[in-house]
Amino acid sequence: MDPYEIEFIGENRIASIIPNFSYDKIYLICGEFGPFRAGLPMNVPLWLAVMLKQKQKCRIVPPDWMEIDNLENIKEEEKRSRFFTKMPHEHYMVEAKLILGAASEDIPNASEIKTIIKDIWDIRMSKLRTSMDALMKSGGSYGRLDHLTMMEINSVKPLLPSAMNELLKIQMTSKKSSSATLNSSTFSQSGTSQNL
Amino acid sequence: MDTEDLELSDEEEEITADVVLKTIQNLWQNERLSPEILPHRNDMVECMLGQIQHMERNINKLPKTDLRASIHKMELNRIKYIICNYLKTRLDKIEKYCITIVNDEKQRTESGTNYLTPSEFRYAQEYLLSIEHHLKETILNRVPGNMQAFEINKMAIVPALQSHVFLKANETVNGIVLEDHFGDQDEEIDLEEGSQHILQYKFIADLVKNGKVQLV
Repeated sequence: MDPYEIEFIGENRIASIIPNFSYDKIYLICGEFGPFRAGLPMNVPLWLAVMLKQKQKCRIVPPDWMEIDNLENIKEEEKRSRFFTKMPHEHYMVEAKLILGAASEDIPNASEIKTIIKDIWDIRMSKLRTSMDALMKSGGSYGRLDHLTMMEINSVKPLLPSAMNELLKIQMTSKKSSSATLNSSTFSQSGTSQNL
Repeated sequence: MDTEDLELSDEEEEITADVVLKTIQNLWQNERLSPEILPHRNDMVECMLGQIQHMERNINKLPKTDLRASIHKMELNRIKYIICNYLKTRLDKIEKYCITIVNDEKQRTESGTNYLTPSEFRYAQEYLLSIEHHLKETILNRVPGNMQAFEINKMAIVPALQSHVFLKANETVNGIVLEDHFGDQDEEIDLEEGSQHILQYKFIADLVKNGKVQLV
């Protein structure tokens, strides 16, 4: 899938905003939201938060996990652990990208936050490459990937699945050809005996 | 129809629009990521199309500059994108694996477990006929008589069910057997709820169809 489609899916997450206008409840197909009260925080889907922000009708409240202390903890934990640690949620990267992209002025220390999240992403990606390497070297056709988020999984597509497909093909042909070489060697033997 | 999927809602009559939307989104994701065509869920698609129409009528009553109108329109566009892309993905598969799908579907129709909607099936058959017609017109009728036969099964493209896919378990499923292709050693794994795996599609194809796992 295209990264934009993962982003599209991530945009359904609920985000918190402070509207600067008042309005009644709105009844969307994905649920009901509101009422909008100027100055009071409320929850809306992320796509709506970004849209209202672009129309300058709200401020976006950054989620708790996007605070520097929390992010530092996540980063340390990620560095320490051999495995992937559990991220704040499935679409942390999408949420961070959208909020920091559309509303960086609403977020204190936006640029530091951006750097830490990027660090976390990089640590995880390098772990992912190492484990993919190990998986391929062990010739495995099965792997468990708990706590990897959709965007991270998507970033190794189609590389990992197709590498595993190719590996499988090689294993199957080498199996076939090893039985085939048995045949062909007997064949060539009979061939040489004919020559003699 | 598979009744298992309807467990999504306790009372299938009262299924709410947001549940239908979530279901369609999961169907779309699965369809995009699975190598083969999955059983259709026209009931869900029709239901959502009805919702969209209803919503569009209401939006038209609002003044054009109303903020609510633009919010609703945005949501409808998002949903339409999912539905269009879902249906297009199915059509792409129908065209690509046309011969296999038509053959399989004929058997499935006999047992009442069809994967295609009636209109998709008609499309598949007509597409196949046009290919046959085209090949006969352009090539087969111009080659020597002994080579003119249209050997349909030699042309069939079969979906690569052995390809590897990522999945997340919606519920715990124990004892998935990963068969070894050489019959040396089969491996058995458990899928715990919420866990994620990469493995060959063919081992979990049934679990995708009954909603126990979600492709990611």
